[in-house]
Amino acid sequence: MKKTLVGLLALTLMFSCKNSEEKNKTSENEKQEVNVYTHRHYESDQELFEMFEEQTGITVNVINANADELIQKMSMEGEQSPADVLITVDAGRLERAKSSDLLQAVSSEILEETIPSHLKDADNHWFGLTKRARVIAYAKDRVDESELSTYEDLASDKWNDKLLIRSSGNIYNQSLMASIMVHNGEEEAKEWAEAVVENMARAPKGNDRDQVKAVVAGEGDLAIVNTYYIGKMLNSEDPEEVKAGEEVKLFFPNQEGRGTHINVSGAGVAKYAPNKENAIKFIEFLISEEAQKIFAHSNYEYPVNEAVTPAALLQEWGEFKEDTLNLSTLGENNKKAVMLFDEAGWK
Amino acid sequence: MKQAGSSDIFSIKSRLRRLKRDTNRWSIFTLAIVLFIALPVIAIAVKLLEGPGETWWHLVDNLLADYIGNSFFLIFTCSFLVLIMGVGTAWLVARFEFPFRKQLEWLLILPLAIPSYIVAYAYAGVFDYGGSLELILRWLNLEFVRIDIMNKFGLAFVLSISLFPYVYVSSRAFFLNQAGNLLEASTMLGVGEFKSFFRLMLPLARPAIIAGLILVLMEVLNDYGAAQYFGVNTFTTGIFRAWFSLEEPETAVYLSALLIFIVFALILFEKWQRKNIQVTGNKASGRTHRKMGTKPMEWLKFFLVLIPVILGFFIPVGQLIYWAFLTAEKVFDLDFIMLSLQSFGIALITSLVTVLFATLLIYFAKWSSINGIKSISRLGILGYAIPGAVVAIGIMIPTLAFDKWFINTMDTVFGVKTGFLFNGTLVALVYAYSVRFLAVAYNPIESTALKVSNSIPDSSKMLGVGNFKTFLKIEFPLIKTGILSAVILVFIDVLKELPLTLILKPFHINTLAVKAFEYASDEMVMEAAIPSLFIIFTATIPVIFLNKLLIKE
Repeated sequence: MKKTLVGLLALTLMFSCKNSEEKNKTSENEKQEVNVYTHRHYESDQELFEMFEEQTGITVNVINANADELIQKMSMEGEQSPADVLITVDAGRLERAKSSDLLQAVSSEILEETIPSHLKDADNHWFGLTKRARVIAYAKDRVDESELSTYEDLASDKWNDKLLIRSSGNIYNQSLMASIMVHNGEEEAKEWAEAVVENMARAPKGNDRDQVKAVVAGEGDLAIVNTYYIGKMLNSEDPEEVKAGEEVKLFFPNQEGRGTHINVSGAGVAKYAPNKENAIKFIEFLISEEAQKIFAHSNYEYPVNEAVTPAALLQEWGEFKEDTLNLSTLGENNKKAVMLFDEAGWK
Repeated sequence: MKQAGSSDIFSIKSRLRRLKRDTNRWSIFTLAIVLFIALPVIAIAVKLLEGPGETWWHLVDNLLADYIGNSFFLIFTCSFLVLIMGVGTAWLVARFEFPFRKQLEWLLILPLAIPSYIVAYAYAGVFDYGGSLELILRWLNLEFVRIDIMNKFGLAFVLSISLFPYVYVSSRAFFLNQAGNLLEASTMLGVGEFKSFFRLMLPLARPAIIAGLILVLMEVLNDYGAAQYFGVNTFTTGIFRAWFSLEEPETAVYLSALLIFIVFALILFEKWQRKNIQVTGNKASGRTHRKMGTKPMEWLKFFLVLIPVILGFFIPVGQLIYWAFLTAEKVFDLDFIMLSLQSFGIALITSLVTVLFATLLIYFAKWSSINGIKSISRLGILGYAIPGAVVAIGIMIPTLAFDKWFINTMDTVFGVKTGFLFNGTLVALVYAYSVRFLAVAYNPIESTALKVSNSIPDSSKMLGVGNFKTFLKIEFPLIKTGILSAVILVFIDVLKELPLTLILKPFHINTLAVKAFEYASDEMVMEAAIPSLFIIFTATIPVIFLNKLLIKE
């Protein structure tokens, strides 16, 4: 027992030494690096980080956590924060980071020219990397496409007990609610939420994929999901998930009007970034054509770089009109949206 | 009036004098450790003074009733389930001989090796559309009945089967090592098996059982992942909502304070009931000798004990293994082995540090002569009641203040540019784990320490041997099992820990739990199976160690 313990301790020490050695080397050779705080943890991102390291010789150090926790961490670290880049999976959190004074404006022709203006911050504090649309997945056999029209229509009586959507704690729902609030006003948004709660087939639970599975299981007819989850289900390792993905069709709401609600995952340069130049290079790399291809093809997201075509599956769904409401407004209205959810009894 | 006043002053003076007389370095050391461990809690408490955020009343109006209702539902339902499973199995394996008893004895601890949110995901995978249950039934040509477990009943079930081993471990220790003589006596007096269990064993084992139960309840109140996935609003999901969705840390801290209040009430309740029944010295002792039964009865016992093992271990692990097969190619590589070793190393260091703190805290308090010190020492275990994410913030407040001061001083006084001393290093992480898991180490050590009668160490001290030497020579060998169980329990908890690790972990270091979470939070639950299985595998080894040790004794 003692020997084993000693052995294990030695092993542990070896590892910690190895790590500190790495650190020492860094400071001696002035090795270039960029410290990334990210909420994205997809395999494709790992691949991209490695590509960037190979191309530039700049080491990418990553901390993965929820954006909320990362923002909290950055604000507590203040001027000494090691963070160079913050990556989140929605614009709302980036806007929050901006309003907490954690990001800085960046001037980069590449970024400004490549990214459409509604997908980035007006003051260049953050930039969208990939797009996802929040759409309706409906049961092919029970719903006719002609019955579907807008997000607002989800409140209508005909969907009573038919609607599947996850909890209001989820940021994608919060952003959708914020967009409805901005377009229709608070009063109407609240009524909408109340009616949607009435129409729910079950109390909100699970994630987006679970809503689709519930449609296939017959618990309801419509599920509200982000596009890339459908892509992932159709390419899942689990044959049952693939089957579930095939049982539903996608509908992009509000095509006649303002367009379908979209969100971005995006990145901003930290206010006190110790490696600002590298941080800019890093974000520029992420929107380069080769990087955007990887985003698009392995994760089924829509590229922000219009020179890159989306994955074949996404092309199959067809082009759609997107809501061009500047995404900053979603962040500004996020808190109010959550409070409306609570008042409407949306769990 | 005047007289009364002066007598008041007199009594305060005499009290102060007594305090001065009794104050020794042990009480000071105890206070120092408590302060060190409670620092993050204090940092959060200071935040309370800033008042609640403006959304506090919004929250009270719309959500608080739901939080309280669900949290209390979980407290009661989980207590009920955990007591039946934990105490029942402990009694059966300690008192009776039946097939595969030895194997079951350690299998019963294994559910602890699976993070409860992973159990939740696994069970959702079993009962899901296209889930394992449906596949099996389809294969058997049976009709599929959908069982929805994603609700508060399902949550109570999932939390109970993954946490009951806390009660099992603590009550089995009592049944095995302390109940023997009494049982023999009661059998000789012709008392039946049932009666001697309910009238004699249960009341005597209460402190041990409750100690385990308190740990379970704290974990239940602390759960975030499972409750969030099953769509059940609890205090902890509320804390996250207030902090992150409503953007008001002040309100989150108020919710945490309410939660801490509930936990405090539970701890006081436990202390109060412990006072009523004191089990020390040789009142209860002796190993239990196992009874044999008839063959059918033995098999019945075997099946009874097997049920929680199947529910808590084999079903979730089976589901994970199935997923692991589907995703192995994608997920498994050499990095994974490195990752496991890192996790293992961090957990080992932390468990040793935490157990050292717990032991020092218990014995310093014992050696101090001030009565109040012991109650104060229990404050040190409060960290367990606070959600990991909140502990992380609590750690960052004081350590960042120090780090910033350090950087500035080094810069202005010595002109040296330095980095953070604590933040983003293993030191802060291990500190945070120790704060969070001190209770896990404290309880088993304390309950074995209580069993050591004071007379031996007292005589040793009377012979002029110092406290430390007495401890090392006499008490340490006697409480070795308690200390080792503490090391193992903390080890497993650290291995599973998530929210705190996410916030405080250094660059370059990753843990299995973080890896599993990364997958699960991207709705790649299947891909989370392999890191989860590695956690389970790594945690299983020490469990078997522990059991071997107990058998040897």
